[in-house]
Amino acid sequence: MRSARVLVVALATLLAALLALATPASAIERNFAGSAQLDYQFVPTARSAKASPNTFDGFTMEFAGKLAVDFSERVSANMKVCYGCHGFEADMMYFDVRVADELNFRVGRFSPSFGAFNLRHDPANHRLSNKPLPYDMGRMLRMRQWNQGVLPSPFPDNGLEVNGTKWLGASVQFDYAAYAVSGFKSDPKALDIDFKLSRTPAAYYVDDNARPTFGGRMALTFKTSESSDLTLGVSGMYGTYDPNNDQSYAILGGDATLRLDKTSIRAEYLGRRTEFSTSDRTVFKYVVADERGDFSMKHGAYLEVEQGLTPELDLVGRVDGMFRVGNVESASELSRRSSVFRYTLGTAYAIERGLRIKFSTELYEFSDRDALTGRKVELSMHTALAGSF
Amino acid sequence: MMLRPLTAIAAATLVMLTASACHRGEGLDPSKLPENVRADYEVFAHKCSKCHSLARPLSANITDDEQWVLYVNRMRRQPASGISYVDQEAILRFLRYYAAGLRRVQAEKNGNAPVPPHAGQNVPVLTPSVAPAAPAAPTATVDGGGS
Repeated sequence: MRSARVLVVALATLLAALLALATPASAIERNFAGSAQLDYQFVPTARSAKASPNTFDGFTMEFAGKLAVDFSERVSANMKVCYGCHGFEADMMYFDVRVADELNFRVGRFSPSFGAFNLRHDPANHRLSNKPLPYDMGRMLRMRQWNQGVLPSPFPDNGLEVNGTKWLGASVQFDYAAYAVSGFKSDPKALDIDFKLSRTPAAYYVDDNARPTFGGRMALTFKTSESSDLTLGVSGMYGTYDPNNDQSYAILGGDATLRLDKTSIRAEYLGRRTEFSTSDRTVFKYVVADERGDFSMKHGAYLEVEQGLTPELDLVGRVDGMFRVGNVESASELSRRSSVFRYTLGTAYAIERGLRIKFSTELYEFSDRDALTGRKVELSMHTALAGSF
Repeated sequence: MMLRPLTAIAAATLVMLTASACHRGEGLDPSKLPENVRADYEVFAHKCSKCHSLARPLSANITDDEQWVLYVNRMRRQPASGISYVDQEAILRFLRYYAAGLRRVQAEKNGNAPVPPHAGQNVPVLTPSVAPAAPAAPTATVDGGGS
């Protein structure tokens, strides 16, 4: 309760600062942007496995509308509403109050700064239909067995972030962010984070415990030439996810992005350590170890190369995967050590300004056999139309 | 059983054929831009495609130079944007040129200006009297004190 009061006081102080700083602009500038993607996923290897609801095999549609308002040079607001598999979702609803480039206060609902991918999570901003596995939110095969990615993106949450950017000389940009948000949720005796509770109407956007999740990010961008740059970043997040504040989670990440003219090479690693309750040992598939038996580790990484072949055509290759270590529920098809690797080749073709058609083929290699088909290797194909304005 | 993949491939081929008949890409064709704008456009195209499609700014229909200053300022402060103050000036020079072209097209629609030579294209074309070098938005409005 004390931390909640502190948060309320902090928010009230920031609101007062916002009102004080918000000197009347000559004109309030508004900008509306939007995007949409219609994707058809065809999973030939999962059809006979009665894949649904563990695999989407068919059309998915998602769209988003974003309104950015500049009240003045110091105060701006962003509001983004998405519609997808979960219905409507508030992806952004925040104010930025900027004291200087180096010090900005972000208050409201936003995705806290973590990793490199989330900035591009909108389907119109990445060239493949799918997100990298560590950030997967419901499109990977066997998504329910894996409980999605390491940190399903986007991950909007309510809270406060302090961030800033500073150029060190002419060729190095330093970015930082530190935040306190409400954090992920679960039922009291859950064995993993329940990502659905972050968006379900049952809980809406109310925190399930009185302890914020804290985190931060630092990144350096090196401008190596007029048409190339390299970004290196590290991120971290720590909090509790159950209502009793007994189970913690910690996510660490590192990322590197290299742009060489028309070529982009992106690599990222995420690891999540998630504690779970062992009070009822009968729910587990394996005997619970007395030491280090009360948590799981989920690692995820991807390497992606995007090459612009012509102004209209991009070629993308991606290798990504996840590796999970730890006990699982007795009914789970995962084992104590499970892995998935995915190999993707895709193209994106700009039909018209703001409109792209995407094709990709994905080959999955699971360490565990599918309970119905016995398959370890699965194939998936995407055709999507993505537009933005 | 083979119907679904064949249908998907046929549909994709049809879309590709349609696409190839009217392809234009996401950005502008630099060869159609005035020579003194091309370098600024290249900076704009490189920096502004890092996180999002170029369609975002090019289709935003912003004709107010002051709004572009606020917009680009907000983008420059995005983490890892790689947009320095020098880059920002180049981007704004291009966007002022672009906005002037949009204003011209709008004026033409309202019957207040002569028809530009490239009417109907998304590439605005300026007459020398409103050349991009004109300081429509002075450097002083770029916060942070410039480069």
